[in-house]
Amino acid sequence: MFSRLLSVARRQRTGRGWQNWSSGRSGAPAAEAHSVALPAQAQVVICGGGIMGTSVAYHLSKMGWKDIVLLEQGRLAAGSTRFCAGILSTARHLTIEQKMADYSNKLYQQLEQETGIQTGYIRTGSIFLAQTQDRLISLKRINSRLNVIGIPSEIISPKKVAELHPLLNVHDLVGAMHVPEDAVVSSADVALALASAASQNGVQIYDRTSVLHVMVKKGQVTGVETDKGQIECQYFVNCAGQWAYELGLSNEEPVSIPLHACEHFYLLTRPLETPLQSNTPTVVDADGRIYIRNWQGGILSGGFEKNPKPIFTEGKNQLEIQNLQEDWDHFEPLLSSLLRRMPELETLEIMKLVNCPETFTPDMRCIMGESPAVQGYYVLVGMNSAGLSFAGGAGRYLAEWMVHGYPSESIWELDLKRFGALQSSRTFLRHRVMEVMPLLYDLKVPRWDFQTGRQLRTSPLYDRLDAQGARWMEKHGFERPKYFVPPDKDLLALEQSKTFYKPDWFDIVESEVKCCKEAVCVIDMSSFTKFEITSTGDQALEILQYLFSNDLDVPVGHIVHTGMLNEGGGYENDCSIARLSKRSFFMISPTDQQVHCWAWLKKHMPEDSNLLLEDVTWKYTALNLIGPRAVDVLSELSYAPMTPDHFPSLFCKYALHVYNEVMSVGQKYGIRNAGYYALRSLRIEKFFAFWGQDLNTLTTPLECGRESRVKLDKGMDFIGRDALLQQKQNGVYKRLTMFILDDHDTDLDLWPWWGEPIYRNGQYAGKTTSSAYSYTLERHVCLGFVHNFSEDTGEEQVVTADFINRGEYEIDIAGHRFQAKAKLYPVTSLFTHKRRKDDVELSDLHGK
Amino acid sequence: MSSTLPFWILNSARNSIATLQGGRRLYSRCASNRNKSRWRLFSQGPGALKSSAPCSGFALQKAYRHTSTEEDDFHLQLSPEQVNEVLRAGESAHKILDLVSGAPNSVLRFESNQLAANSPVEDRRGVASCLQTSGLMFGIFDGHGGHACAQAVSERLFYYVAVSLMSQQTLERMEGAMESMKPLMPILQWLKHPGDSIYKDVTSVHLDHLRVYWQELLDLHMEMGLNIKEALMYSFQRLDSDISLEVQAPLEDEMTRNLSLQVAFSGATACMAHVDGVHLHVANAGDCRAILGVQEDNGMWSCLPLTRDHNAWNQAELSRLKREHPESEDRTVIVDNRLLGVLMPCRAFGDVQLKWSKELQRSVLERGFDTEALNIYQFTPPHYHTPPYLTAEPEVTYHRLRPQDKFLVLASDGLWDVLDNEDVVRLVVEHLAEASRHKPDLAQRPANLGLMQSLLQQRRAQGLRAADQNAATRLIRHAIGSNEYGEMEPERLTAMLTLPEDLARMYRDDITVTVVYFNSDSIDAYYKGG
Repeated sequence: MFSRLLSVARRQRTGRGWQNWSSGRSGAPAAEAHSVALPAQAQVVICGGGIMGTSVAYHLSKMGWKDIVLLEQGRLAAGSTRFCAGILSTARHLTIEQKMADYSNKLYQQLEQETGIQTGYIRTGSIFLAQTQDRLISLKRINSRLNVIGIPSEIISPKKVAELHPLLNVHDLVGAMHVPEDAVVSSADVALALASAASQNGVQIYDRTSVLHVMVKKGQVTGVETDKGQIECQYFVNCAGQWAYELGLSNEEPVSIPLHACEHFYLLTRPLETPLQSNTPTVVDADGRIYIRNWQGGILSGGFEKNPKPIFTEGKNQLEIQNLQEDWDHFEPLLSSLLRRMPELETLEIMKLVNCPETFTPDMRCIMGESPAVQGYYVLVGMNSAGLSFAGGAGRYLAEWMVHGYPSESIWELDLKRFGALQSSRTFLRHRVMEVMPLLYDLKVPRWDFQTGRQLRTSPLYDRLDAQGARWMEKHGFERPKYFVPPDKDLLALEQSKTFYKPDWFDIVESEVKCCKEAVCVIDMSSFTKFEITSTGDQALEILQYLFSNDLDVPVGHIVHTGMLNEGGGYENDCSIARLSKRSFFMISPTDQQVHCWAWLKKHMPEDSNLLLEDVTWKYTALNLIGPRAVDVLSELSYAPMTPDHFPSLFCKYALHVYNEVMSVGQKYGIRNAGYYALRSLRIEKFFAFWGQDLNTLTTPLECGRESRVKLDKGMDFIGRDALLQQKQNGVYKRLTMFILDDHDTDLDLWPWWGEPIYRNGQYAGKTTSSAYSYTLERHVCLGFVHNFSEDTGEEQVVTADFINRGEYEIDIAGHRFQAKAKLYPVTSLFTHKRRKDDVELSDLHGK
Repeated sequence: MSSTLPFWILNSARNSIATLQGGRRLYSRCASNRNKSRWRLFSQGPGALKSSAPCSGFALQKAYRHTSTEEDDFHLQLSPEQVNEVLRAGESAHKILDLVSGAPNSVLRFESNQLAANSPVEDRRGVASCLQTSGLMFGIFDGHGGHACAQAVSERLFYYVAVSLMSQQTLERMEGAMESMKPLMPILQWLKHPGDSIYKDVTSVHLDHLRVYWQELLDLHMEMGLNIKEALMYSFQRLDSDISLEVQAPLEDEMTRNLSLQVAFSGATACMAHVDGVHLHVANAGDCRAILGVQEDNGMWSCLPLTRDHNAWNQAELSRLKREHPESEDRTVIVDNRLLGVLMPCRAFGDVQLKWSKELQRSVLERGFDTEALNIYQFTPPHYHTPPYLTAEPEVTYHRLRPQDKFLVLASDGLWDVLDNEDVVRLVVEHLAEASRHKPDLAQRPANLGLMQSLLQQRRAQGLRAADQNAATRLIRHAIGSNEYGEMEPERLTAMLTLPEDLARMYRDDITVTVVYFNSDSIDAYYKGG
């Protein structure tokens, strides 16, 4: 409704324009547009004529793909796109999101010039208010990350806020962040402009055409069935927004796309007496749960309330989002918040309360990428009400992905494959989005766990561990213990435990770490993804040698730590493989690899191979014994001889029995339970990088000092070998480095988390990827990549060990820089005894 | 005073052993709640409570199930919103929109709710409209000794009534369809709450028995079918005898056999209303109750009871029982206000322990049922000489609806134990008054933000007071949340709702309430139109 009001005149003009595109060649009048027959085949069919679909079409056609059909069930830009509040904001929590928004901003800015279609783009800037110190810390963290990727922003005082925006009440503020280059734009018009440009590049656009389902043969997209006929195609892109979930399930081979809609309200007013300037900055008052932008001399203000109203749980088949009921009673807290922030608005005339559903995902991040189940089925949906900000960048990444086979940035955080089937049930989604939507404006603190939709998958030992005080975190739907609260200890309530400083579990984890170092601890690691790969002949070894970078031809019973690389040499997976017999292998990967790794193996296994791949995750409980007395405990339990150098792989049935035996035998060695926080501290102080956190598809073994785990010199071919050889010759452009914070006070200073900028000799050199407090070093340790940006051009240059060692480093935590010592290798003095054994052990851990 | 109960729950949760001391007010409530359980013999807990209640205190040992190590997980205090959620979970409401031959239905809408104390709940309810004849049916079924009988009666009774009312011609068509294996035309349209136990489609055995019934009706050659009063009388007794016969007949399917055994050996009282235009019939067997809220022309409200409770406090029932059994049993047929000293109501479906001869009971149970697994109580009460002692024959009341009859309340004894008829009428009237006192209206929308804000805040403040949109919810709220002076005590309400599953039954019974509102205009029109 909003944009209809916004641009009635424009819509009519452009409206005729886009209807013509669908019948471009014949030049038929608009009314006949939908009677035009669909083409029988195309390379790509995009479903959804909102800002996402048009952006994908735009970028694909720019990259040279021409044979593209875009289908829209109603009219172009008529779904969420039409109702979008039109705020483009680059202040995002993830760097990849910041980059997408930044690209979108630049794209939209020049779009009017490119297409001649007015988009209403106005650079207003935006102000993020902080009512509390914690909020200000959160803004400062974002601020320092924005600056290093070239988006100007600054932390400003309340006084400065008042100067920037005349109507704001600033008395309760402690500070704010100003992002001057943020903008407002009409998202519907952006979508139309993108569609217009795409259509000029040859994309055929058909409105009032519904996709019924996608046809799949042998796990590969072959075409789409629409209400106007079939189109054969190689690629299908699901940009169906609210309808994506059902569209995904409509296939014979369903594609689960976990998202759910919630109602979202914003208010439109008539102009103020002195109409607001069109460049008045947008205001986000997250503590007050609202945003406010100028709109035609008046204001547009909405928010993300604590008690969202999920809708369409049972699915909805309406063509367009009808203007849903306005619910003023529901809006009351947001209205009160608005009037508290801008008291002068009391006399402002109301125009309308708009109800526009938005889709949300289980982890507040958008969903893109190729389906693990169906090749050629791509998805770009679930924008958590930031569709306008992301559309440009996300459309580009997806187009790159389709054209080149991979996007130019690592987008694992947004990849569809991060979800498992369990996260796709309607009930789960309904509950989870009710938590996610308020979270948009909640304070995001380190180590936050979702409270809804828990206990989807648990270890058989769950109850035993829970009874012993385990506190749980969830990964890929699996419950994992964080730490064990001793019976006599009280922790803060959930809400009070939110902090950017030293957390309340510090001492608990310390005692667990200590026990790991001095005695023995048991950690339940059943969440790990476990596959069995077997073959009747020798194919298993043959194929795996090609898929994995390390040499797997080891004696039966041995365990190899290896990467699974892509053509560019980057890690698709970092795993351990045990050779069970000559022809069967047991693969242990990180928990969240379950879907991704499966899809990768399936895609790269030769079609005619008789290789048997089985997901046995649920079949095995994994117990991890850590500590100097671990071998003693195991020796008592087993007749097999055990030495650090000769450690047999053992499989036992009866998990609970084994656990009980281990605990009772271990008693005299001081055994106790430990959780993932202890493990995390241990692995980071040992400089052990983790896939999904430190490693991603764009990092190679050479860039993180794992050359010894790659069979480059064995004359065997494997995926990524060429890229690695070349890198070996040319040198690497980034290097994983371990930083030990020097002047950091654990009790008083802000704790590092991840994503903190690294400065080398005062120059920005990269970002941290993970961090933990090392109880051994009594210092914080961060891992992160160091780049060598040329001072003149900003171009990336080769990073050598010498380059790393000769720098003076600082880590920027929320604007405060702490000195750090850089290390390229673990601090060996820490681990004087049994290096070799620990190494073997760690390679099996992989937890985080 | 008011903190006694929460404090006690706190103790029970923390210490696994609950000791209740000096809760005088609660005591009076416990003691006055005469029927904590219908079947006294079988429920040790409530029985113990009853006998020890008059003492100064009792200790109750209870194993508290520790579901989580986090004690904080155990929410001792529910927020008002959570209280509302719990109370409202069983709500259902329907507006009756269909016209009866062009005129608006005499039933305007109904509101219903159910709150469980037993786990699983033993009350059932049903609302359905007859599709082959006219009329709406509302029923409340209060089970005891399990829920099997109440479930069966709630599923089947309305079919018997609907069939009884059918004309000869309709019955012939039904029989014809059955004979030619064609689909049967729909008999009932249910208006269910999604949480109500799923009504199984009439299983083939049940359908067979229903068919035998209508075949017998066909043999009577009555062109217009039975009148409503007869239909209700026959349906109750016919269903009860079918329940009794089904378990005696050899059934092959073990599932069905076990189920029919459970149905026959548990019991249910039933109270149902049939509304067709201005004709209101209420049939009752047991101690559920139906009352009418009447507003006289002078605006005064009064209550018109439509049923009489069939229990030991009903002189007519006592006389009936004495009449039906030899004089020698006069002193043993009702002992301690219970039928043969065991059962509170004197009329009920099922309960074949009080209907069959000892020999029959023995011979049926000796057929190798696993009575323990089926949770069946096998016993013979003392002085069991001249069965049957119990009947499902209903008392049927006819009332011709007048414009001053505004609403009908049907409820299980869980409600009537704690609220009397006048309380109930008063609460529904208050509810109607509040609903008609509109919230500040948003239709004439204030022009500016400030006015809108104050209006919304007013609406919110009002909304908090009138928490219930549903009269049945309001009745339940008051039934469990008011003290002996009839005042609402939020703490008490919270405490009653947070009682652990296995304790709830000691403090309250299952409560099921249906409030049916009549359309005075359409009743008026009926009289004017002749």
